Amino acid sequence: MSGPGRELDYAHVNRLVLRTLTPPGRAYWTLVALLAAMVAAGASTWMFQVWTGLGVTGLRQPVMWATYITNFVFWVGIAHSGTLISAILFLFRSRWRTPVYRAAETMTVFAVMTAGLFPLIHLGRVWFFYWLLPYPNERGLQPNFRSPLVWDAFAVSTYLIVSVTFLFLGLVPDVAAARDAARGWRRRFYTVLALGWHGTVEQWRHFSMAYLLLAGLATPLVISVHSVVSWDFAMAQLPGWHSTIFAPYFVAGAIFSGCALVLTLLIPVRRLLGLEEAITPWHFDSLAKVILLMSLVVTYSYATESFIAWYGNNPFEKTTFWLRAFGPYAPLFWTMVACNCVIPLLLFSRRIRRSLRALFVISLFINVGMWLERFVIIAGSLSTNFMPSQWAFYRPTWVEMTITGASFAWFLLWFTLFAKFLPIVSMTELKEGIPWLRQAHEETEARAA
Amino acid sequence: MTEGLRVTALFPDEGTCVRGVEAVRRAGVELTGVFSPFPCEALHHALGQRRSPVRLWVLLGGLTGCLSGFWLTIGLSLAYPHVTGGMPIVSIPPFVIIAFELTILFGALSGLTGFLVHARVPRLDPEPDYDPRFSEDRFGLIVRCHPAHGALLEAALREAGATEVRHDRA
Repeated sequence: MSGPGRELDYAHVNRLVLRTLTPPGRAYWTLVALLAAMVAAGASTWMFQVWTGLGVTGLRQPVMWATYITNFVFWVGIAHSGTLISAILFLFRSRWRTPVYRAAETMTVFAVMTAGLFPLIHLGRVWFFYWLLPYPNERGLQPNFRSPLVWDAFAVSTYLIVSVTFLFLGLVPDVAAARDAARGWRRRFYTVLALGWHGTVEQWRHFSMAYLLLAGLATPLVISVHSVVSWDFAMAQLPGWHSTIFAPYFVAGAIFSGCALVLTLLIPVRRLLGLEEAITPWHFDSLAKVILLMSLVVTYSYATESFIAWYGNNPFEKTTFWLRAFGPYAPLFWTMVACNCVIPLLLFSRRIRRSLRALFVISLFINVGMWLERFVIIAGSLSTNFMPSQWAFYRPTWVEMTITGASFAWFLLWFTLFAKFLPIVSMTELKEGIPWLRQAHEETEARAA
Repeated sequence: MTEGLRVTALFPDEGTCVRGVEAVRRAGVELTGVFSPFPCEALHHALGQRRSPVRLWVLLGGLTGCLSGFWLTIGLSLAYPHVTGGMPIVSIPPFVIIAFELTILFGALSGLTGFLVHARVPRLDPEPDYDPRFSEDRFGLIVRCHPAHGALLEAALREAGATEVRHDRA
């Protein structure tokens, strides 16, 4: 073998990954400062909204859920790919997940952290947020466990805690490796995070069992979380929301958008951190196949939803779906169809699945398409409810757009910090998967030849 | 514990380390530590380790979470008997969702606790026999034996494939 995979051995894996943790340069800190400034702009805008009231948003009757709830659903969805790649594919012993799962898992945690902000941002009086928590109280507020919003609070909080636990557990041996190679304050930092891990076979025995069982617990959890999020809508008697296919439809959409964002982030990160040897075109090809499959499932869901609206012959349902395609939100709907159903079909071509530029561009389209999908479902369905006299066109204001933009900056800020201070690729699993990585390099070389 | 000599042997891979374990077993001396840079099934088998009790922590945590979920939802609903949507006060189907989420939550946290307890972390004092190469590319065995057995043991470990063998006073 003569290519980049020829040097792959245990020590080389450590060098490859620990190289990503070298002190960052000026460009990195400029990016961090830029993202922090955008987050600060979002926080100031939110303060303005809290001070002035929700009237500064575009929320008017009948559209009282719109951009903020779209962002909530979008970010919870983004989180799902991380659990798919790290937990579900771990249980299936998938070979290609090894170098990409840590980045995806990290995304899960930061995406849920971002999503969790939006129910609070959406509150008119955020200082009373604890009224939403179901506990016995002297205010006579009923803890209503029959409400999907309460299920949501439990599901998303559980998801965040379990995702952090899973990420942290997987990090421990890698942080210990970073500790052993680091000096100065970094060594002290990694020493605390490594918890005194020394890689004894006894420790590995308990680690492997804990990791396996956490993966087993995370798998039904991830499916439940977006199902519960979808029931926020499906439980309501609103045309366009009240549908039995919402749970699988939302879970598929979540994995679809999440995997697309993994591509969007991982393609530049691989280049910037010099991880070409760890993450090969074969890994991107495999990820693209998952995206293609999910695109087909999402397309099928759109078709089923529309077919049932027509076949059910409910005039309200039919009108909602007609207006979705030909009403005021039609441009957004057709953009969504193009981004989620048509453009991903390019992934049937192996050449495109192996072209990182093409994948990056396609992933951006999918991100846009999936955000629009949530917006069309949420705001579009509310704007044309049962009473035509109530119909109204919702348009986000600068406040909502600034906060939405800041949420992306908030997510990227955390991810950027993580990528430079903690191992973004699992050394432990990469060492276990060296034969498969060598095979991936050989295959890439054979194709290039 | 045998007094005298501590022998540290470093191996380049899993297979040679397993042979080293077998050599130590044949020599009848005390194996006090085995290190590896990643989890190895073959080493677990060679050492005759049983499955980790962390699974019991997860099971008990999960059961506690499930019962807590039903206790919380049924108890609070009975404490606030307010009919909504024409549904019974104790509506089991929606309560299953809360119980399910708490099953996962308690199971995961309990599993993490079980890992911390059994893996004996966190700890800040360093493992005395630890070599930083164990987190990089070396598998290691630590053996305590009588000083008179040191040379024979070293020969056996080198024959098994050890690339480095060190002797220290225990």
